[in-house]
Amino acid sequence: MFYRLLSIVGRQRASPGWQNWFSARNSTSAAEARSMALPTQAQVVICGGGIMGTSVAYHLSKMGWKDIVLLEQGRLAAGSTRFCAGILSTARHLTIEQKMADYSNKLYHQLEQETGIQTGYTRTGSIFLAQTQDRLISLKRINAGLNVIGIPSEIISPKKVAELHHLLNVHDLVGAMHVPEDAVVSSADVALALASAASQNGVQIYDRTSVLHVMVKKGQVTGVETDKGQIECQYFVNCAGQWAYELGLSNEEPVSIPLHACEHFYLLTRPLETPLQSSTPTIVDADGRIYIRNWQGGILSGGFEKNPKPIFTEGKNQLEIQNLQEDWDHFEPLLSSLLRRMPELETLEIMKLVNCPETFTPDMRCIMGESPAVQGYFVLAGMNSAGLSFGGGAGKYLAEWMVHGYPSENVWELDLKRFGALQSSRTFLRHRVMEVMPLMYDLKVPRWDFQTGRQLRTSPLYDRLDAQGARWMEKHGFERPKYFVPPDKDLLALEQSKTFYKPDWFDIVESEVKCCKEAVCVIDMSSFTKFELTSTGDQALEVLQYLFSNDLDVPVGHIVHTGMLNEGGGYENDCSIARLNKRSFFMISPTDQQVHCWAWLKKHRPRDSSLLLEDVTWKYTALNLIGPRAVDVLSELSYAPMTPDHFPSLFCKYALHVYNEVMSVGQKYGIRNAGYYALRSLRIEKFFAFWGQDINNLTTPLECGRESRVKLEKGMDFIGRDALLQQKQNGVYKRLTMFILDDHDTDLDLWPWWGEPIYRNGQYVGKTTSSAYSYSLERHVCLGFVHNFSEDTGEEQVVTADFINRGEYEIDIAGYRFQAKAKLYPVASLFTQKRRKDDMELSDLHGK
Amino acid sequence: MSSTVSYWILNSARNSIATLQGGRRLYSRYISNRNKLKWRLFSRVPPTLNSSPCGGFRLCKAYRHTSTEEDDFHLQLSPEQINEVLRAGESTHKILDLESRVPNSVLRFESNQLAANSPVEDRRGVASCLQTNGLMFGIFDGHGGHACAQAVSERLFYYVAVSLMSHQTLEHMEGAMESMKPLLPILHWLKHPGDSIYKDVTSVHLDHLRVYWQELLDLHMEMGLSIEEALMYSFQRLDSDISLEIQAPLEDEVTKNLSLQVAFSGATACMAHVDGIHLHVANAGDCRAILGVQEDNGMWSCLPLTRDHNAWNQAELSRLKREHPESEDRTIIMEDRLLGVLIPCRAFGDVQLKWSKELQRSILERGFNTEALNIYQFTPPHYYTPPYLTAEPEVTYHRLRPQDKFLVLASDGLWDMLSNEDVVRLVVGHLAEADWHKTDLAQRPANLGLMQSLLLQRKASGLREADQNAATRLIRHAIGNNEYGEMEAERLAAMLTLPEDLARMYRDDITVTVVYFNSESIGAYYKGG
Repeated sequence: MFYRLLSIVGRQRASPGWQNWFSARNSTSAAEARSMALPTQAQVVICGGGIMGTSVAYHLSKMGWKDIVLLEQGRLAAGSTRFCAGILSTARHLTIEQKMADYSNKLYHQLEQETGIQTGYTRTGSIFLAQTQDRLISLKRINAGLNVIGIPSEIISPKKVAELHHLLNVHDLVGAMHVPEDAVVSSADVALALASAASQNGVQIYDRTSVLHVMVKKGQVTGVETDKGQIECQYFVNCAGQWAYELGLSNEEPVSIPLHACEHFYLLTRPLETPLQSSTPTIVDADGRIYIRNWQGGILSGGFEKNPKPIFTEGKNQLEIQNLQEDWDHFEPLLSSLLRRMPELETLEIMKLVNCPETFTPDMRCIMGESPAVQGYFVLAGMNSAGLSFGGGAGKYLAEWMVHGYPSENVWELDLKRFGALQSSRTFLRHRVMEVMPLMYDLKVPRWDFQTGRQLRTSPLYDRLDAQGARWMEKHGFERPKYFVPPDKDLLALEQSKTFYKPDWFDIVESEVKCCKEAVCVIDMSSFTKFELTSTGDQALEVLQYLFSNDLDVPVGHIVHTGMLNEGGGYENDCSIARLNKRSFFMISPTDQQVHCWAWLKKHRPRDSSLLLEDVTWKYTALNLIGPRAVDVLSELSYAPMTPDHFPSLFCKYALHVYNEVMSVGQKYGIRNAGYYALRSLRIEKFFAFWGQDINNLTTPLECGRESRVKLEKGMDFIGRDALLQQKQNGVYKRLTMFILDDHDTDLDLWPWWGEPIYRNGQYVGKTTSSAYSYSLERHVCLGFVHNFSEDTGEEQVVTADFINRGEYEIDIAGYRFQAKAKLYPVASLFTQKRRKDDMELSDLHGK
Repeated sequence: MSSTVSYWILNSARNSIATLQGGRRLYSRYISNRNKLKWRLFSRVPPTLNSSPCGGFRLCKAYRHTSTEEDDFHLQLSPEQINEVLRAGESTHKILDLESRVPNSVLRFESNQLAANSPVEDRRGVASCLQTNGLMFGIFDGHGGHACAQAVSERLFYYVAVSLMSHQTLEHMEGAMESMKPLLPILHWLKHPGDSIYKDVTSVHLDHLRVYWQELLDLHMEMGLSIEEALMYSFQRLDSDISLEIQAPLEDEVTKNLSLQVAFSGATACMAHVDGIHLHVANAGDCRAILGVQEDNGMWSCLPLTRDHNAWNQAELSRLKREHPESEDRTIIMEDRLLGVLIPCRAFGDVQLKWSKELQRSILERGFNTEALNIYQFTPPHYYTPPYLTAEPEVTYHRLRPQDKFLVLASDGLWDMLSNEDVVRLVVGHLAEADWHKTDLAQRPANLGLMQSLLLQRKASGLREADQNAATRLIRHAIGNNEYGEMEAERLAAMLTLPEDLARMYRDDITVTVVYFNSESIGAYYKGG
């Protein structure tokens, strides 16, 4: 037998393997599939047939782009869009989000008329309940914001709530906000209507087509590889919802789109005995973590629980999100909350518990914009369960961005480039979204810091500072000290420290500020972004002169504060540049500019230039010495004479050594650590605006009093010069102004934050952008923009110094108006103390 | 609290290790108290180095942990983390396909695996025969590496399936092979998520399988073999193929090395074949299969379907003595091990106990890099009349009755820790809870109020925390139960945080598959026929 075996083995060696029937089996399914020829090229390929993809297609085609292909892996309006609860709510925390939702509302309202497709749009209004005073404050703040952009809303009493919705138990309420124009709508039908309108405008739509990856050449999108063939294209739009992350990573040049899905549950019931009217308002009981809307005579109710269930961490095996399990046990807290709010529902018959994954981002804001790594690769995803509300507006902004190069509003808060590479690991995202999802309905208070996914980037001094009582905040993944808690002092626990009033760290920051003013403080400012720009020839200067508005042709060792402007003269970045030698420059920008500024420089530097860019952020630790004795400390440490323009940069490996030296030498001058809260108080009272907070890409230097940092006549052109010249001639339409609150009691009154409406002679003129308590003035100081809206038409008119100075101002904090003095220049008394120029200017740089 | 447990483990480790100086005997007893390493003195350590240096090596390693790394033990696993570790290997599968319009007698199965060896040496497999009826479940417990267990888990079911094929089907297969057409599909694997990939039979293996069916064709049996015969032949045929493959000249280096590793490591196997009400269990070695039976009066009992093939089995002792000359009576089993080295007395592979010394030598002299392959030629003392080891299974037939509710197949890692009765009791407890769980929510309360009170009740009873998978529950209790059979959370946490090199001393790889039967469809067989 043994020999027989051998001989057969020999003979059969060449026989085909067993794999045959496997392949035979596979091929049958391929034969069934429809053979639909994709176009071989297009200008734009959009991936994702949910509400985002169809909205982008709709708006692009409206704006005149016709050569568009939309690909959907399953059917149109599947995914989250299909399962969406259908609530359109304009009550959002960010102004830009309010605007997007408002636009969506108006768009969906007329969509049925435009397309003939029924969308089920019903204007129900919505009521946001407050069980606590803090919640009511939060609602009042939103209410004030909604009113000034023209969305009707009002704060109402519990009694009024009961009148509007007879099923509600209102006994535990302290008030509510009513937004009468909010609506409910079928999101799937909206997506279909948008798709149909887009298709009539020439957009080609293919379903059951999966994008495998995006083809990239030289950092530029060249096409898309799908399971049905290739399409060449210039622009790719990733609207793949929860699959956006995976899709982004599938490229050869990966695009990181930090988002992660969580399971989300809502309940559907049979109709009530007397079926609910279709106009019954939607209820949001954030303290109870639930929302409730009418649904086919019954109710639809879901919420954002405290213990979310993240899913799909491992990736995109699930092409369609059907068949997710009901989890009644998980839903119990929300159900209990619902029955507490509407006790009469106890006898209501259950129909279904829907499990539909929602996508969340690390900071609860959606993600849009162009990838910093791949030109022509646009993203619109990560809606944090507000996809329906944002769909219209977000699609419009992204379409504008693609067509015009920038959207009509500043969307930095939503820009993909606000994230760094460290924020896209699966583990980070999984942990962070578990914090973000409950936050949807948590109270949003000033100065909130995320607790998960921290310590991604730290200064070398982190441990040292931490041991000295540092409390940390995070910016762009970087840990920065807020303030230092003295050993003998205890602060409130995290939950109790949430407040809209005077915070518990008030005294701590006060003593840090005092030390900055009277002695010397050291602040670790290593987080800010540092680039080195060099060239082999003399090109560096030439290129930088074109990219930056100030004159950089300064002696070696000098430092220049300058803006990096766009064509419209707006700030893309506000930075400081030191000339290291003839051919190399050192650039310092705000922390969260790391990705944005890099992408901007890459994109705008002349193609053929030999300008070398290096991100050296991690290489340097930055210590900022603030205070009248700073110079004394420095001159004791260094044999080199301290000149005002000397640039204090130190190599990282000595950071701890230098820090120790500074601290020990500084002892006799009363040195101590200080944090960013002290710095913020100092910078705001001196009217220093920060990029990303006060100023953005729609703010020009002329609008924020920085004419002196622009050299229009530096002998060569620079980006934004024409716009500035024109503005100089015509005047500005808004002006950054400093407000000092007059009748505000720091101990008892609500504190300003940012986003508070500013009233001039009773007329709304703009919003604040940042605020702080000034320990020197013993007053609150707010920065904000003043516009001049025409009383008749609402049109923006020129704002002059005279206009600003001749007005009576009020700041609206959650419905309470406080008188404020407007200033166009910093308070002179703050500068009477003799101090060196570099102290001020360094602190000017890096607060953000 | 958990630190006390870590001390318990460490101290017991320290004490046991302290006795090692006496020699290997104590060492091995220490092991077999808690757990038995199946191979001793074999494979890993050259014979000359084996007694004290072996112990000494372990000793150093263990002391390294006890002295310097004691403080570094992280035993503070939260209940969630424990669940995560335990549930990592679990899988559940519902059998939905009908069997000649009757629901399958198997309702579903749940399985799980927890490794102690690194890498794990247990394997499991579930597959349905596509040319005949029947579902097959297998547990394969490897020793001296995982190569043999892997090979058996990949190949055994094919041999069984082919054995059961009718003459006509076999002719069809042979015809397809000859005309190079695609073969009929033989098996449908129901893979566990995490299980290593079954190579869908490499061409060499296929060739050997073909030789087997050609021989079956030569027998000219219309209906194929009976299930008993099929199981019996398949085990032995596969073992002989494993043994012959390495004797045949193979050209491909990778296949050659793999074949050598397979032949020189071993695996015990226990598999069940379920076709309607016909349950066959074939066992070679010390894996075990038991049936959970609920009598009409509601009482539960346990029906073992296998006998462990080891030194505690009188029948095995007699068999061994019968097969070898009387002069070897005292040396066949020493220290409760076959020839003093191997605990099970039936297994696949392990050619060291099957081949003559000369054959072993001649094979290994063909220039294998045995060092790299982790293979040592080793001849135990008193090796006179090989083979000493066989893969011949003991086959048990059981006609399923409506009172037979579930079948538990598990590797000895489970049975070392839990008795048959314990296992039945735990699965019954699991069923009771799952039933409650299921009926409650399947016929869910009609209205919101009732649903809420039910959910609150469930929350209060902590039901949600229970294992959803009976196999997980068994493993949890196997390693978490103390001497009194009580679950100890600290012990569980401690057992799961053992460092890799200590883990194997306290527990073995555990693999469990629980198969639930559909009493209704079994009842229908009786009514119908």
